[in-house]
Amino acid sequence: MMRASFRWTRFGMGALLFALYVFLYAPVFYVIYASFAEDIVWPFPPAFSALSYGDLFASSLYGDALWNSLLLGIGSAVLSTVLATGGAIGILRYRARWRGLALLLFLAPLFVADLLIGISTLAFNARVLDLPGNIYSAIAANAIPGTSFAFLIILSQLVRYDWAMDDAAMVFGAGPVRCFLEITLPIIWPCIFGAFLISFILAFNNLEISFYNLGAIPTLPSVAWGSLRFGLGPELFALAAIVNFAVFAIFAVMYILMRYRIVQFGYRGP
Amino acid sequence: MAGNNWIRRAHRPQWRFAFLAGPGALFVVVALLLPLLSIVVFSFWRTESYELYADWNLDNYRALLSEPAYRIFFLRSLVMAAAVALTCLVIAWPIAYFIARHGGRYRLLLVLLLAAPFFTGIILRVTGLQSLFGPIGLVNMALGVFGVAPIGVLMYTPVAAGIGLVYLYVPFMVTAIYLSLVNFNFELLEVAKINGARPWRAFIEITWPLNWIGTAIGLVLVFIPCLASAVTQRFLGGPNATSFGMSLAQQFGETGTWALGSAMGVLLFVASLLVILAMRRTIDLKRSGFTGVIGG
Amino acid sequence: MPAAVLRLQSVTKRFGSVTAVDRIDLAIERGEFFTLLGPSGSGKTTMLRIIAGLEQPDEGQVLIGDRDVTALPPYARHIGMVFQNFLLFPHKTAAENIAFPLRMQRVGRAERDERLAWALKLMRLDGLADRYPNEMSGGQQQRVALARGLISRPALLLLDEPLANLDRELRSEMEVEIRRYQKDLQIPFIYVTHNQEEALTMSDRIAVMRDGAFEQVAAKTEIYTNPSTAFVAGFVGHANRFDGSLGEMAGATARFDWKGIALTVPKPRHGQPGAAAQFSIKYEDLEIARGDSGTGLAGRNSIPGTLRDIIFKGQTANYIVVLKDGSEIVVSSAPRELDLQPGETVTVHWPVDRGASYQA
Repeated sequence: MMRASFRWTRFGMGALLFALYVFLYAPVFYVIYASFAEDIVWPFPPAFSALSYGDLFASSLYGDALWNSLLLGIGSAVLSTVLATGGAIGILRYRARWRGLALLLFLAPLFVADLLIGISTLAFNARVLDLPGNIYSAIAANAIPGTSFAFLIILSQLVRYDWAMDDAAMVFGAGPVRCFLEITLPIIWPCIFGAFLISFILAFNNLEISFYNLGAIPTLPSVAWGSLRFGLGPELFALAAIVNFAVFAIFAVMYILMRYRIVQFGYRGP
Repeated sequence: MAGNNWIRRAHRPQWRFAFLAGPGALFVVVALLLPLLSIVVFSFWRTESYELYADWNLDNYRALLSEPAYRIFFLRSLVMAAAVALTCLVIAWPIAYFIARHGGRYRLLLVLLLAAPFFTGIILRVTGLQSLFGPIGLVNMALGVFGVAPIGVLMYTPVAAGIGLVYLYVPFMVTAIYLSLVNFNFELLEVAKINGARPWRAFIEITWPLNWIGTAIGLVLVFIPCLASAVTQRFLGGPNATSFGMSLAQQFGETGTWALGSAMGVLLFVASLLVILAMRRTIDLKRSGFTGVIGG
Repeated sequence: MPAAVLRLQSVTKRFGSVTAVDRIDLAIERGEFFTLLGPSGSGKTTMLRIIAGLEQPDEGQVLIGDRDVTALPPYARHIGMVFQNFLLFPHKTAAENIAFPLRMQRVGRAERDERLAWALKLMRLDGLADRYPNEMSGGQQQRVALARGLISRPALLLLDEPLANLDRELRSEMEVEIRRYQKDLQIPFIYVTHNQEEALTMSDRIAVMRDGAFEQVAAKTEIYTNPSTAFVAGFVGHANRFDGSLGEMAGATARFDWKGIALTVPKPRHGQPGAAAQFSIKYEDLEIARGDSGTGLAGRNSIPGTLRDIIFKGQTANYIVVLKDGSEIVVSSAPRELDLQPGETVTVHWPVDRGASYQA
């Protein structure tokens, strides 16, 4: 009867969800599996080998690229997080006339494709600023979408922050800086940290923006791109396995912290 | 005295706001809008021997509009983006609904699991796709072992590129719809039921309209990157799938024709803007039940 | 005999190990205003949801008219419902909200418009038809919700604490209005609340619920004046409670020993001399007298005490009196003795036929 049809709908949706997970993760699991195999093309029967990883670690190009990617990631994340925190606090706390415009500006980068950001910053830097490809312009360019993502993450927690606490603190004599450091920051630091991690990952793994701003400076994604042009190779598998693992480790840590309420990222709980 | 006045004014909300949100907003203007503005300017210039010259002209736009290749690339990307966005919509809605309604304690976990792969970067994700579906990928090698011919449609075809794009961007759509559903009052569906609405009718009358803003955001978040996508088509699309983005990238890469490339960039940006505005028009705040305002 | 519009037969609903509704039998008559009154957790909302079809009972039947609707989904039952937080569709105007049931039942446009006009006029919503819910006050939203519930002329209207989110003054107004609508339309209303004043103002019959079962089902005056159990006595109306033991019984009264004082109280329904018992008497049935001028009156009980405070309520005053064991009782009467001082000795007295006693 009615109830039965509801059950079927629910089952169908759940099955679709499961299918999506399979679709999303099958390549990931396969790549991880094959990275530990002797022959990445036909890794059956399973024979363990760390050759792929050996190739990866032996390559100095990947080594340089890793270093650059880390710099890029950290630089971009710091910039993104600082700008986004200011933006979120300013927009939520103070009723100023330009609030709507500021909100629009912080969210605008989400609607501009990476490729467009990459080529436009390239053209601007090269022709207007006379800057050759360098890591600083890449950091700045990556901070564009990075700030938006960080902004969304911080905003989502900050909407629940009771600003009356700041007012109370000020009544008791705390100036704005003191108030921020002693009252606000201790409460919201987890989501700022989360925003930092997310923008780090985004910049670290970014291809299309960094590519145009770095000139010859290699990053992991650009080296991987170069390698992929010649087809699948063992180092690619190893790299994919490592990066996937790292991203998931970070997410897992964030999830556990949120789920078990060790810290509050703005997750409301069941 | 003068010093006091300055301090008093500095404490006013407008200045605090400017101090906090100003840097970020300014950054976006300088780092995003100025470069975009610059390519608008460059699109009217001329490239010669890998250098831009400020000869104002419309040649680039003429080339884009008249030469069939560019028209084909653009239309191809447009159709691909629309198809991918719609596919993502159809896939994402039931999934987001399921997670929001029946996910219970696992909601966050389910969403994070969907979102996480996105952050591994486009190249590695395409690598993963290639490892399964590419010419020397698992599927085709397995078929070869059993003596079956490789599945043509999965390799180097627009379909393969489309599947790849869905793979890349469906988490965006799910997240956008999920975030909307999380704030949706499912009790309204009970009300509809009591007032005579059967389940599908209730969905069309209540659930869909009240979550349209989230759906529209999701569509835009998928459509815009897909319109510009280059890497996916390059590695999965095969010879006949050159996308507008690929051609654009070429102008700034191999051929060094920045003026033409800038014009293409402008076209891309304008198209994206038109899509956003079109979506914006479909949103009637009252008809979407939007009563909230950020910050109260 | 008037036909029962709604009948519940042995309806039971369990949630895990908790029985929310325990073998309830109920019959609602045409034109009746019936209230389910009880504390939270008593199962009243669950019962309402079962009647609506939002929950399935584990046992028993639900009959509307003479149709067994137990297995029918809500949209097939032809009932109306009004909710505590209104639950108006935020993306539809008042008119669209109200007309929604008719659209779902595929009523033709002409008739729809006609009934919409009727509903708007009935609920005094003229001029608000094109407003959105967030543009209306709480009272206006509630009237829209009522209109929506009534427009399809349902077999019954279910109301789930609809006034809980309104402020006190509005609530009093709406109590009277809702009763008026019910009487004018003669559609049975089933009203759920934990607020006994609402129940007493609006209902014809009240069922006091506790832990999934009915403590007492009777006309409202009966519930108020003759509560059948101590729970009902404590829940409906404001009453003082004395714990003591029963003495001999004679005629309609019994002796009640409270802390060494012998009182004469109405005989309990069950109980033997010597049994522990409770005596419950409403604030307004007691009177207060200065010093010991209230003692020794014929046909009355009296207890000495000390006045602690007077709470002036306009038409009445509540006198808080501390008794010899330290407990406090409240005497509510006309504000005659307002010059009594806190700390003064007073006597509380009342007729022997007032109040009710229950075996503990």
